[in-house]
Amino acid sequence: MMPAARIKIRSMVIHAVLFIVLGFWMIPQIYMLSIGLRTPAQAFDAKLFTWPVTFDNFIIVIRDNPLGAIFLNSLIITVATVVIVVAVSSLFAFACAILRLKGSIFLYTTLLTTLMVPLASMVLPLAILLQNFGWVNTYIGLILPYAALGVPFAMVILKSFMEDAPHELFEAARVDGCNAWQTYWHVALPLVRPALVFVTIWQFIVTWNEFFLALIVLTKSEMKTLTIVPMQYSGLYMANPGALFAILTLIALPLILLYVLVQRAFVRGLLAGAVKG
Amino acid sequence: MRAGSAIAAVKRRSASRASRLYLFVLPATLLFVVFIAYPILWVAGQSLYVGTSAGAVFAGLANYTTVLGDPTFWTVVRNMFLWGVFTIPVQMLIGGVLAYFIERHTHALRGFFRTMFFLPVVTSVSVISLVWVQIYAPYYGIAQEYLKHVGIVMATSPIGDPKSAIYALIIVNIWQWTGFSMLMYIAGIANLPTEVLDAARIDGAKGWRLAVHVIVPMLAPATKSLLLLGVIGTLQTFPIVHLMTGGGPNRASEVFGTFIFKQSFVLGDTGSGAALSVIVLVIALALSLIQIAVLGARLTPAGRQRP
Repeated sequence: MMPAARIKIRSMVIHAVLFIVLGFWMIPQIYMLSIGLRTPAQAFDAKLFTWPVTFDNFIIVIRDNPLGAIFLNSLIITVATVVIVVAVSSLFAFACAILRLKGSIFLYTTLLTTLMVPLASMVLPLAILLQNFGWVNTYIGLILPYAALGVPFAMVILKSFMEDAPHELFEAARVDGCNAWQTYWHVALPLVRPALVFVTIWQFIVTWNEFFLALIVLTKSEMKTLTIVPMQYSGLYMANPGALFAILTLIALPLILLYVLVQRAFVRGLLAGAVKG
Repeated sequence: MRAGSAIAAVKRRSASRASRLYLFVLPATLLFVVFIAYPILWVAGQSLYVGTSAGAVFAGLANYTTVLGDPTFWTVVRNMFLWGVFTIPVQMLIGGVLAYFIERHTHALRGFFRTMFFLPVVTSVSVISLVWVQIYAPYYGIAQEYLKHVGIVMATSPIGDPKSAIYALIIVNIWQWTGFSMLMYIAGIANLPTEVLDAARIDGAKGWRLAVHVIVPMLAPATKSLLLLGVIGTLQTFPIVHLMTGGGPNRASEVFGTFIFKQSFVLGDTGSGAALSVIVLVIALALSLIQIAVLGARLTPAGRQRP
């Protein structure tokens, strides 16, 4: 057993080291914010911090750019994808884990191969498919492929949770005369709530930040999402890094804030065994 | 499972109701067929044709020989190898060490550290790329300015030099995704059975020895999943390279993603774009299946083994 004083000192040293590592780790984000807060005269200084700071850049970029509309594009595509993924994958997981439909395990294994497919090999065929559907520059043209790519991961997690849920509850639902749909809605879904939360948050992050397919499908500027607009601003504000980094900060902010708000529930889902495979 | 067989019994009573139950699997299957399976079959077929999609001629394996004869292809293979070999172990190591200290030695600030180290994962990759371009920039970037105080002098931007470009991009990728490895290991550490840890402690294992001889082996499922996800992640690398170097200078930092993008959408050469897509797909499937068969790796991050 270690004396209390030694434990306390060790804990302080570990915290100090973690804070120092974190300080270095945060340099890119700090640098981004710092350039966004600079006056044009300081913008090109090769320093992490400059003084004084100004909020002019933020005011200019908010005034001059349709950030609200771009944000809305991201939000529509992401929320629709998340809703579809959660609904479709939980129905599928229920059929495999609880109803044990004939052939469902074969389908499960087949769908699982999606997780081994790198997106890089899918962009060309998806682009041609969406072109044939006339879905270039539409929300649906991103939502459905994102959903198809997202369902397998969600379905693995939800299936594993449903299999671990107490069987007696499903038995009781049957005795009470619930049909399959009622059992799914009133018994299965509430039982796997932490997994649903985990899957929702993860799918939200992945969809919000997807770049490759969005770059190809969304070519009209009024359709673009927050993830693909930074390139055009880097050209627009080439001579004005203060404005560029102010707008980059604003683009990165929504998801960071959202994650900070939901991280507790996300990690809880993770620790509850969302990832036990 | 008893509930399963009970419901199955109900199911058998009515054939029409039984077939209605397939509505549960229909949406997922439809999405898979239309947006995964069909595109893969299409691209495999298209890889055997040359010319544009309008006037394509069957060409056998001509696209594949063209692609494999392109020196850029072999630059890509080398870059992807370097990418995987550096990114995956370094992320595991840093992520694992962070997870260990955060999980076992912090209490009040645990949530804070977990969240802060994960933030690069949730920061838009296009924002990250532009910030790192600025960090690496000659004259006004902070990398040159601060690294010269520790004896590292950079004459140009590391992403502007063909020799260092790929490594400079790998650093950005490691920085962005280490938080993910950390979180997977945190889940693994939090779910370690306390009896085993207590038993090890009674046997005199503590500190470094406990970490290396007890905890590391018990986190093997998480490590295997991170390896599997890391390989697939490597093969689909795109935004960082596209935004920071565009595969340059002089194609030195080209990866599969940017190569496919250029062949397919810049040059409009659907045939070789399709051949490349198939090659990437086959590499991914082969490497994944080998890991699943040999290591018993899982496709989803594994925190805890099923009892």
